Amino acid sequence: MKTYEFKLPDIGEGVTEGEIVKWLVSPGDAVAEDQPIVEVMTDKATVTITAPKSGKVLETRGAVGGTVPVHSVLVVFDLGGDAATAQVLAEPARSEEPAATAVGDIKESLPGMNLMSTVAAPAPSNGHAKAAGYFNDKPLATPATRALARELGVDLRVVPPTGPNGRVTKDDVRALGQSSSPATTMAPVAQRAPAMTGEPTPRPGEPTALPPRATPEQGAPSPATTRAPVKIGAAAPAGAGLEERIPLRGVRKRIFEGMARSKHTAAHFTFVEECDVTALKALRARLRPAAEKEGVKLTFLPFVLKAVVAALKKHPTLNSAFDESSQEIVVRRYYDIGIASATDSGLVVPVVRSADRKSILDVARDIARLAEDTKAGKINPVDLGGSTFTITSLGAQGGLFATPILNFPEVGILGVHQMKQKPVVRDGQIVIGDVMLLSLSFDHRIIDGHVGAAFAYEIIGYLQDPDRLFLEMG
Amino acid sequence: MSQMNMVQAINDALRLEMRRDSRVVVLGEDVGKVGGVFRVTQGLFDEFGDDRVIDTPLSEGGIIGAAIGMALYGLVPVPEIQFSDFIFPAYDQIVSEVAKMRYRSGGEYASKLVIRTPVGGGIRGGHYHSQSPEAQFIHVAGLKVVCPSNPADAKGLLLASIRDPDPVLFFEPKRIYRAAKGDVPEGDYTVPLGKAKVVRPGKGVTLVTYGAMLYESLEAANQAAAQGVDVEVVDLRTLWPLDIDTIIESVKKTGRVVVVHEAPKSCGLGGEIVALVNEKAFLHLEAPPVRVTGFDTPFPYTLENEYLPLAHRILPALVETARY
Repeated sequence: MKTYEFKLPDIGEGVTEGEIVKWLVSPGDAVAEDQPIVEVMTDKATVTITAPKSGKVLETRGAVGGTVPVHSVLVVFDLGGDAATAQVLAEPARSEEPAATAVGDIKESLPGMNLMSTVAAPAPSNGHAKAAGYFNDKPLATPATRALARELGVDLRVVPPTGPNGRVTKDDVRALGQSSSPATTMAPVAQRAPAMTGEPTPRPGEPTALPPRATPEQGAPSPATTRAPVKIGAAAPAGAGLEERIPLRGVRKRIFEGMARSKHTAAHFTFVEECDVTALKALRARLRPAAEKEGVKLTFLPFVLKAVVAALKKHPTLNSAFDESSQEIVVRRYYDIGIASATDSGLVVPVVRSADRKSILDVARDIARLAEDTKAGKINPVDLGGSTFTITSLGAQGGLFATPILNFPEVGILGVHQMKQKPVVRDGQIVIGDVMLLSLSFDHRIIDGHVGAAFAYEIIGYLQDPDRLFLEMG
Repeated sequence: MSQMNMVQAINDALRLEMRRDSRVVVLGEDVGKVGGVFRVTQGLFDEFGDDRVIDTPLSEGGIIGAAIGMALYGLVPVPEIQFSDFIFPAYDQIVSEVAKMRYRSGGEYASKLVIRTPVGGGIRGGHYHSQSPEAQFIHVAGLKVVCPSNPADAKGLLLASIRDPDPVLFFEPKRIYRAAKGDVPEGDYTVPLGKAKVVRPGKGVTLVTYGAMLYESLEAANQAAAQGVDVEVVDLRTLWPLDIDTIIESVKKTGRVVVVHEAPKSCGLGGEIVALVNEKAFLHLEAPPVRVTGFDTPFPYTLENEYLPLAHRILPALVETARY
């Protein structure tokens, strides 16, 4: 009997392992060459792997849901043949190379060809003069500065830079090189004021999506050391008036934590597109007097909000959140839409509850009430928190486009820019059009690019043809 | 010593070597009776006759092809290509035959010849009389490439080239044919090939250049000095083999390098110099190496002074590199 060990092939693109999704054959099955035998999911795609040879399956290795490293044995085949000369064939032999021709010996493969996409990044070595308090895995420095750092035994990654464009200068290296001693290298390094990074300090015990960082004292294999608190040294004695120190509390503290948590967890990506609002402007102008009779000042925001709700219904994952504790994506079937609002004390996000069940007029009333309460600083706590999707109206100073940060733990946020008159091409003519830009950010962990884009175009579709909102009104 | 310009110094070298070595032959378009369009060969026809100073048809391939044959039979031809812009009909002869003869014959034969040709812009010559194709010959193994910046070097380098056992392309920067004047030693002497010269010592930035742009570089260096930037100027003299040791020695001192040439930037000699500096002096660099060169365009007749890397373009590169 000849057996053949089939190993999980290198599927390329740097894939190092695969998860077994489904076995298509069982031990004892006879398989033909090229017959699908197993579905394997890598971090790039799910691939169906076919039998390299005809034979009988003796053994399948790896349970469904289990992970198999590349080049480990996946299936053992019985290829038949003489039992007395039992032999394990390893990898198939390379086909013979063609003979040299008139133009030379043109090889099918040469050393190094298989390294094209699989070259692993070298593991960073531990720096010897590592100081806590500052860490940049990719420090900028001229070669001459790097030479000096080598000479002085200073790890450039821990040197707070003061040079142009964030460059570490020779003086920076010398400053740390002189201060480095076994007693001081682990202590927090007080930075000079111009080098402040403004990076927040993670609170102990705070849940984080980043892998836990080891401390240098533990002999960390990873270059990512625990961040000791950064101290911003005083530029002048207290009372000199050069600085003001504001305690982190209240709204600012909440924003601080929320923004950092969002940026540290979600894989943000931002999508920007233009929206023709000619029809929307006309519609709003037409409905305004009627709304006024009801005592409501009709802005564009209620239309945007209703368009978002309609689009969320068509793309439900956009209305989801990620439950970290259970590792589940929670798709909400209620539509509580946060409206990011600027106040003197900072950003707050009052919420229009059950926006799907409210008319445009009701939404407009809610928005007006929330805006008033927010402005007056007397927003009711029940109007805050628990939104399923957020809109941030960027207004007159919203810029060309923006990259909104997600309202944790939501997976989508819509930034609405000011409507502007711009030259647009219509029927081959340049005319003045009413145009608005939308900047949407998504959590790429959950929202694929094409899903985010489809959602954005859904909103744009409603805003360009707002009558559709009434057509689909529930 | 006597005051000469480049044309006179080169003429002096040719005359001296033709008197000294009867194998030396000059050939080219109008090099004989007319004495060359730039008068470099003036008087040679009268002194040495039409056996040794040969007017050729207008055929660059023919000129170099004939010179190869002469060389293989033991003569020492010094063909002239009237403008280096016209050298391309002979490019095949140069690349495929001249450069490879010693290699192909296992060292038995060499096409020992010196191709003289005016190079560069700055004479209102337009796109067919202004180009700087030196890098296209440096890229070919088997050729030496020379480009003097002054009369004394021109004479000494030409004598060294004619006596060198291998083929040499001798580029004469025509912008300074008559403008570059200086004392030229009388009689026989050589300037060794492959040796650059520090023509202005400095500690702040290394400026590497050659040919006509040396003077613009010196002008920029003087202006930079007024801004506190101390420039060391290296005149390559021989472009290949490159005197990388002199460049590296200077860059190790200054940590900064600016290369100036009028040839286009992409794949020019400056690119090779910068690469070698990165390889050999990387850890000494205080700033990214910079090239100030001609542009990747045909040589423009009307924008000649914009195309050439004149002092006003070199100066900011020096200052920015020094202050990086």
